[in-house]
Amino acid sequence: MFQSLVTLAPWTTIFQICNLLLQLFLFKKFLYKPVMNILAKRQAAADAQIRDAKQSREEAEAIKAEYQENMAQAKAQASQILANAQQTANARSEEIVRAAQAQAVEIKNKAEADIAQERKQAVNQIKDEIGDMALEIAAKVVEREINSADHQALINEFIENVGEAR
Amino acid sequence: MDISINGPKILGYLGPIPITQTIVISWVVLAIVTGLCIWLGHNLQVENISKRQALAEMAVEKLNGFVHANMGETGFDSYIPLVGALFATSVVSNLIGLFGVFSPTADLSTEAAWALVVFILITRNKLKAQGILGYLKGLLSPIFVMAPLNVISELATPVSMACRHFGNILSGMVITLLIYGALTAASSALFGLLGSTVVSGLVLLAIGVFFWMKKGKLRIPGGVLGFIGLWALLCSIQPIAAAIPVLNFGLPAILSLYFDWFSGVIQAFIFCTLTTIFIKSACEA
Repeated sequence: MFQSLVTLAPWTTIFQICNLLLQLFLFKKFLYKPVMNILAKRQAAADAQIRDAKQSREEAEAIKAEYQENMAQAKAQASQILANAQQTANARSEEIVRAAQAQAVEIKNKAEADIAQERKQAVNQIKDEIGDMALEIAAKVVEREINSADHQALINEFIENVGEAR
Repeated sequence: MDISINGPKILGYLGPIPITQTIVISWVVLAIVTGLCIWLGHNLQVENISKRQALAEMAVEKLNGFVHANMGETGFDSYIPLVGALFATSVVSNLIGLFGVFSPTADLSTEAAWALVVFILITRNKLKAQGILGYLKGLLSPIFVMAPLNVISELATPVSMACRHFGNILSGMVITLLIYGALTAASSALFGLLGSTVVSGLVLLAIGVFFWMKKGKLRIPGGVLGFIGLWALLCSIQPIAAAIPVLNFGLPAILSLYFDWFSGVIQAFIFCTLTTIFIKSACEA
């Protein structure tokens, strides 16, 4: 019950054609199409990712430009503020110096006035002391009592002369 | 020793239709290939893919690459599933013979069926490219007396495709059968002789063990020799052991690397290559 070794069996051929077509259908349905679907999906996903990346890059560049503009603005503002501050400081320092100078002048004037006053006082005191001393010395030298009031006038005149000579 | 080489066994009749081994095994092949497709093609993911899916994608991409390389990048994608189905069916049909069942491709009807499908596709594409009149006129070129030769050359395409595939698989099967037959005969003759006395077995076993223990280049031949000696000894004690074709272990497996594995895959590949090239050139005319 063997078919001969080399022969064309029509029924077998027909069966095999059907098998091949069925296999073709099954192969396509269960392997080829699912895999191709997945490959297409992955391709789409990759494309989408690239698109997203491009978009984010554009966005980032816009943000960067805006940031740079802001930075420039801020810098300008800062230098403006700095200049203002410097101007104010200058004005203020000048004012302070002026005030200090005025104060110094005032203090100097006052000091000079004080000195003059003190000198005057000191001179008066010395006048008195010298007068008394001269009187004592004169009394001792002359060894006689003279009218104190007359001598006082003489001494004052003398001291006046001394004060002017100095 | 008798070897008989037969076509497929006729298992029964369904009305007038003989159901042969070819048909039944083809269904098994169909089931195997479809099962493989379902296993490879189920639960596919876009990301984070499994090894199974990587294999499936690689197979499909190789198939695409194969068809694109032979037929051009565009215009022939509809033939890719046919080529894939043909290749898978052919490879599994060729290799199923390794499991000791009848290979459907060792029946010319199988290849004839495939070649017929390819022939129909070739002719359809020729008719599409040239028109019916152009096709008929082409058969008469360069002069009308060439018409018979032209018709023969048209028909030669599927015939040669079918016969090439069939011939290779059949010859592999025949050679395998002959080798098995020869080795069985050699086995019974060798061990009948060696088993006649205990001495020969002992001597061979001693030599074999000696070389095995030396652990040099001769270790494996020594092992084989020792095994033969051991078996010869067994045969001399129990003569029925000589009937077991011991020599069939090993050698046929090595030969089957070429006759079954290499030949089986390369014939499927050639059949698919010819299919793509013939269909492509039919469209160009």
